[in-house]
Amino acid sequence: MPRAAIASSSGDADDERSLIARAVVGDRVAARKLYDTHAPRVHRLTYRFCGDADLAADLTQDVFVLVFRELPKFRGESAFSTWLHRVAVTVSLNAMRKVKRLREREADLDEARHHEHESGDVDPDLRNRVAAAIDALPEGLRLALVMHTIEGYTHAEVASALGIAEGTSKARVFEARARLRKSLGDYLEEL
Amino acid sequence: MDAEKDERTLDALLSDAARTYRVPPEPPLDAIWSQVESLAFVTAPARQGRFAWRTLGLAMAASLVIGVAVGRVSARGGNVPPVAAVAASKPVVMSPVSQAKTAAEPYQRATEEFLGSTALLLAALPRTGSGDRTSTLLPEQAAQLLTTTRLLLDSPVGANPRMKALLQDLELVLAQVARLQPRRESAELTMISQTLEDRDLVPRIRSAVTDLSAFDY
Repeated sequence: MPRAAIASSSGDADDERSLIARAVVGDRVAARKLYDTHAPRVHRLTYRFCGDADLAADLTQDVFVLVFRELPKFRGESAFSTWLHRVAVTVSLNAMRKVKRLREREADLDEARHHEHESGDVDPDLRNRVAAAIDALPEGLRLALVMHTIEGYTHAEVASALGIAEGTSKARVFEARARLRKSLGDYLEEL
Repeated sequence: MDAEKDERTLDALLSDAARTYRVPPEPPLDAIWSQVESLAFVTAPARQGRFAWRTLGLAMAASLVIGVAVGRVSARGGNVPPVAAVAASKPVVMSPVSQAKTAAEPYQRATEEFLGSTALLLAALPRTGSGDRTSTLLPEQAAQLLTTTRLLLDSPVGANPRMKALLQDLELVLAQVARLQPRRESAELTMISQTLEDRDLVPRIRSAVTDLSAFDY
């Protein structure tokens, strides 16, 4: 079962509310604390989406610039982290649709995957096939699978970030797995 | 049994993918923060300026449309005789060109009104980051304009390729405005701003108004 990726305890939430209130009035120390708390997770997610280190850094930057500018509008109806991740998903998707070079980089990434993370007992060729099969999923299915299964977000968190119902998130992950089973059929039979 | 085995194998592969699929490198957090700090806390006025230009541009487009429309109405008003005088006068035989022009006039006027209303509506949208909330009337007005857009697309106006392209782009923006929801407004306004910029809509509205009289429907 995936752990809740962005949940926080009530004590943390109180601290966070205080940090948000201070950041709204321009307290950069408070803003930096919010950034330090959430930036690694946001960067991790953007990288999983785009697979490009420079672009992931740019996207993380864009997300936090937007979030700090919009912070006065944040009314705390949802958790800050939920709102932040929703912004992260929106910014990432908009950027990825624009950046044509991503497709061109896929080949490079596939090549790079050959050389990294050779540890473990999964055959590197099979690992590349799995990665390629995930990349080939339709966007909606891929995002839900990456967020839930790869990154460990709960369905509620995925639903909130993608602006869909929780049941839709479950259905998308289910469908994504079905498609992966189909596209990896030959390999699965051999194992 | 095979299905269960496949499922277990897939679980194992996805578990491996969690460790190996697009594994993020160490993020340059300090470098990113310095950019965030300078953009979000120092140069905010520059960004506001960018959106202010958009608003100014839309206001100019709206003024231009209204100006052209008012000018035409005034010009027509000066030449229009009283109804009784028209009824009493002899029938006027119009050339085919004049007849075509007369037939096109309602569409032309509707297009002018539509462009003016759309420019005003877009100018009334809150700037991203301004803290202002969108009036609940705007989505309703956008929905009405969306209907007009579709009617115009199906009319002779839509036969003009340039006007058709403009109407289709405005259709997209108006659909975005019509779907604005208070809870997701900020992200949606950002997307609308991007659409306006990406599709160069403000200059195209201005240009369409200027060229409107030259369109041959």
